[in-house]
Amino acid sequence: MAAGLTAVVVVPVGLALSDGHLASGPPALVLSTAAAALAVSALALQPLLAGSHRISWHRALGGAALALVLVHIGGLFLVEVDDTLFAMSPDGPTRARMALIGTLALIAVVILGVARARLPMSGPTWRILHAFLATLAIVLGFGHALLTDGALDGPGTAVLLGFGAAAVLAVAGAYVARARRARRAGSG
Amino acid sequence: MVRTDRPRRPWILGLVIVLITAGVAAALITSEESGTGASDVGDRADAADQPAGPDRAEASPARCEPTESNPGGTNNYIPDAPEADSLGSGFVIQGIVRTAEGCRPLDGVRIQVWLATESGGEQDNRASTFTDSEGRYRLETDPTIPQFGEPNIHVGYDDSGYREVFIRRVVDLEDTRAKIDLNLARGG
Repeated sequence: MAAGLTAVVVVPVGLALSDGHLASGPPALVLSTAAAALAVSALALQPLLAGSHRISWHRALGGAALALVLVHIGGLFLVEVDDTLFAMSPDGPTRARMALIGTLALIAVVILGVARARLPMSGPTWRILHAFLATLAIVLGFGHALLTDGALDGPGTAVLLGFGAAAVLAVAGAYVARARRARRAGSG
Repeated sequence: MVRTDRPRRPWILGLVIVLITAGVAAALITSEESGTGASDVGDRADAADQPAGPDRAEASPARCEPTESNPGGTNNYIPDAPEADSLGSGFVIQGIVRTAEGCRPLDGVRIQVWLATESGGEQDNRASTFTDSEGRYRLETDPTIPQFGEPNIHVGYDDSGYREVFIRRVVDLEDTRAKIDLNLARGG
């Protein structure tokens, strides 16, 4: 368990930081790349925590995932403002558009989690919306990483595909587990 | 709050999910893979065996549409790049510069090139080079690296006489050369 968890955290960041695209990169690029690779691990683990009883961990890791994504974007701004603004513009490449929409979905997921008790929606509606937006964030985030040259190519591609597929399946599993738990609580 | 195992208004939730999904799909479909106008200009031919130069068909094109700047073309541009024949070795950027009106090769025109390589970012790694009597320019550099997700090259012209042009093009990681022709128009 601990070894698997360590591997999920260490492998993406290890692969990303050993890639040649960082050869002449400033420290901000290294930081940005490391944050993005750690966000990959966080997004892969999040649905597993959602399906378990460790909801406080799930909430903490969700906030951490969003913080890592924001550090990734902030680091890119420090490296080259022009390229970052261009990537986020309507003329930016597909991978950047995926990242932008995926980040918005992740922000929405975190807001849903934080404000759950105050939102005027039923439990089932909240669960479906939360799971849908989480899936969107995962698919677009991993899609962004797959289309991005440099950080996670070669073996990194296999890691992304494996982690991404597992995360999407785990979202479905977590949804089913949470819905069953809610039904039992309602009937008990 | 009363919890049931179904959303209270499933059609509203369904509509929201369908609209978000359709919006994301539309946003991705309408994007260009490498950014607006950034075509892939690289190939993997052995640059050492094939010095820069057009083939016969390219030397006398029937029409010379003016080259238009594309979004992102001016990213990280610093005017008046130092004159240089080389920014390293292993990758060749070459092309022909012609007049849009009449398709005549332009002799002695300054072309500025900048790109990220292992030896520096786009603002560090820039050079001005001049066309020969046949309108050809050639610059050898270290291979470009994907600091922003995809290896890309900037070529610009902003001297007097013709309309300024700033373009951004992409190559693949394995490419060894790129061909970027410019057709310069008067006025503007």
